[in-house]
Amino acid sequence: MCPYRNSSGRKFTAVLLAELVAFLPAAAAAQSRKPPAPPQPRQVFETLQAQLQRPYLELFEDAAKLEYNAAQIAQMRKYLDEARDFCVREFRSRLSSYQKQRQQLQGDLKRRTASLEDPERRDMHCKIQNLRILESQAQMLAEHAVPVAYENKKAKLELIEKWPQELKRIRDEIASGAYHQRRFGDVKDIGIRELVAGQERDVKDGQEAVRQLKMTGLLPPELDNPVIKKYVNDLAQKIARHSDLRVPLNITLLNSREINAFALPGGFLFLQRGLLEAVEDEAQLAGVIAHEIAHVTGRHGNKLMKRATIASIIYQAAQVAAVILTGGAATLGAYYALQYGFYGLGLVLSLDLLGVSREFELEADQLGVQYAWNAGYDPSGFIRFFDRMATREGYVNGASWFRTHPPFYARMVQTKREMMFLPPKAGLIRDSEEFRRMKQELGKVTAQAEEEEKNKPSLLRPVQGCPAPDKLEYKPGEPIEKICPLPSY
Amino acid sequence: MPAALLLMLLTGLLTAEPQTNTISLYLSVEEGDRLIAGLTEKNFRLYEAGRPVAFRLEPPESPMLVTFLVEHSRSSWLYRNDIDAAVQAFLSAAPEGHWYSLVTFAHGTEVVKDFTRRIGELRAAYAELGAPLWQDIDTYDAVYDTLDKLELLPGRRVLIVMGSGFDTLSARTLSEVQKKMESVNVTAFAAGAGSSLRGMYEPYLGSAARLDLTQAEAFLNMLARKSGGQAWFPKFETAYRDIARAVFLTLQNQYRLVYQTSLPRDRKFHRLRVEAFQITDDQRKDFRVRVREGWRR
Repeated sequence: MCPYRNSSGRKFTAVLLAELVAFLPAAAAAQSRKPPAPPQPRQVFETLQAQLQRPYLELFEDAAKLEYNAAQIAQMRKYLDEARDFCVREFRSRLSSYQKQRQQLQGDLKRRTASLEDPERRDMHCKIQNLRILESQAQMLAEHAVPVAYENKKAKLELIEKWPQELKRIRDEIASGAYHQRRFGDVKDIGIRELVAGQERDVKDGQEAVRQLKMTGLLPPELDNPVIKKYVNDLAQKIARHSDLRVPLNITLLNSREINAFALPGGFLFLQRGLLEAVEDEAQLAGVIAHEIAHVTGRHGNKLMKRATIASIIYQAAQVAAVILTGGAATLGAYYALQYGFYGLGLVLSLDLLGVSREFELEADQLGVQYAWNAGYDPSGFIRFFDRMATREGYVNGASWFRTHPPFYARMVQTKREMMFLPPKAGLIRDSEEFRRMKQELGKVTAQAEEEEKNKPSLLRPVQGCPAPDKLEYKPGEPIEKICPLPSY
Repeated sequence: MPAALLLMLLTGLLTAEPQTNTISLYLSVEEGDRLIAGLTEKNFRLYEAGRPVAFRLEPPESPMLVTFLVEHSRSSWLYRNDIDAAVQAFLSAAPEGHWYSLVTFAHGTEVVKDFTRRIGELRAAYAELGAPLWQDIDTYDAVYDTLDKLELLPGRRVLIVMGSGFDTLSARTLSEVQKKMESVNVTAFAAGAGSSLRGMYEPYLGSAARLDLTQAEAFLNMLARKSGGQAWFPKFETAYRDIARAVFLTLQNQYRLVYQTSLPRDRKFHRLRVEAFQITDDQRKDFRVRVREGWRR
């Protein structure tokens, strides 16, 4: 029998629904503005928060000694999710507010354009430009920085929770010798073994892809410093000689601030200046190069990339770069966003855009660690670089690097597992004199590039010398806790 | 203080050009169709408002800023192929190492691509323009606005106009554009569209069409003449490749005379004259100098 048969019942239901419709969004809005309260008890929360700030490598060592129960971990995970959602909503709301303010100002400007005196017009132009800067920052934080920062924290939490058991399993595998049976476990045969047949066939596709890439004209200019080129080339060739690569390795250095590297099929490796700036030692750089070489040896690009689509992929990548680095501001905002630390609008060719899936990333992580180790480098370099990027500046300047690389936990564990399975080797290289010399040289190149970027001419700059916004949404290098502060006890 | 003086002072404060008395004068030296390179300071004489001026010969500023100003109007259908050919020719001939930007105009001016060192970005931006939306051809406004923007930038600036030279609905007048060109230190080149009208269909043009064409050519010629550049009006589409090469060759072979101007800031036009010559066996041989006509300060 239908419960709404009589009319008073229907009226009551209608009123109730109307109330609900009016009430629910208001309640949701109130909820969304409320920052999450830190979970109880205080001491547990604070010590756990401190653990999440520590490097992955330290957590791998200490996770077994940490005593947090499942409820505490679950509580913290919920808190991190809420904190992420709150921060994302907060920056989206600010973005919307800046957009409204700007549109209002632009409307005023249009209405009053004939009657405005120069100083007032200039003041309005400056305000509009500053609002564009803030819009760019808010969009960047909401869409990229905050999700990456919290993904990283959650990965560390997962590590604290699951690593002790995983470690036990790894030790059991080592004890039983089962680890030899893992995929690509024949590390003593690197260079002889056949990973995937037919690398040679990728060279032609790679050449075609490089040609198309250059034809688009969207590639940043090449970094033309003989010292840096020789150093990176020597390092990459050394790793290539100790890998499963069967094709010549071609290295191209791009003079762009973007922290990224990408490989095209057939051994065409592109490294951007920002990456060289971001690595702290030779082992970190070796780890990244080895990871990219692994994409080539695994023929990942070939498996998923269609030649016909390379130009559109690259163009799409450039569009993503524009959004990530300037918040999508296409004109004046772009210029000013570039001025305020987003500059280096290079190509953000993420592996995801090349169609590289999560499985291929994990495979490249495993093989990359093997190649770095086989070439005599400390295989922890890749984890340390990954960690540094995610924990510190990475989620701002390296947003493109991380944008498509989660889940972090699985990748970190995969890398650590492989490190544990590798036979011990003495004298693994972490740093070198050549690396320091390269860094010195890079300092000069960076200074020159920054100077040039600062003085870059523009037709889209009607007003010069506008004062900077009173308060920026973030400054490069700031931790997420400072960018989006949450209540503590 | 008289209002005129106040206005002059304000203008001086608000625009970049007249603030400085040091001027970089770009010029090319020709003998027939040949560009003359390798001249030294003693091969030149410079006169401002009829008076000789001391100068020094310096290497051209690098990188230079080159803006391609391209007509993109629905009314330009007759010239579309020419404009396309010209744009492609200039983008192919442009040497690396300089800053390039692409600006289009029809009903208003649009910066399609701001200055970049990557020519490919301009090519991609041009390819994405799509069909023109507007019937108008606001050439005067476009030239004026672009000069206005270039005026604010330091260094060596070059404007390359690709279009018919017609104007249908500009707010600015020819006289205003002319004055602007006289006051801004930008060298302008023009590749006039309409090769089929000047070539294949020339015998069939009526007097009104001929007059329009002459007027359009006169405008582009004025830009070149005032700024020390050059304008071309080919009769074949294929000629744009040679024009583009000629423009960049001219730019590569320009001389830069640096001097202190003593011209008053009176908003009047003052003529400029440069002589280039070589003395061999006590015989003076004069060359043709392509240089701006003068300054309005």
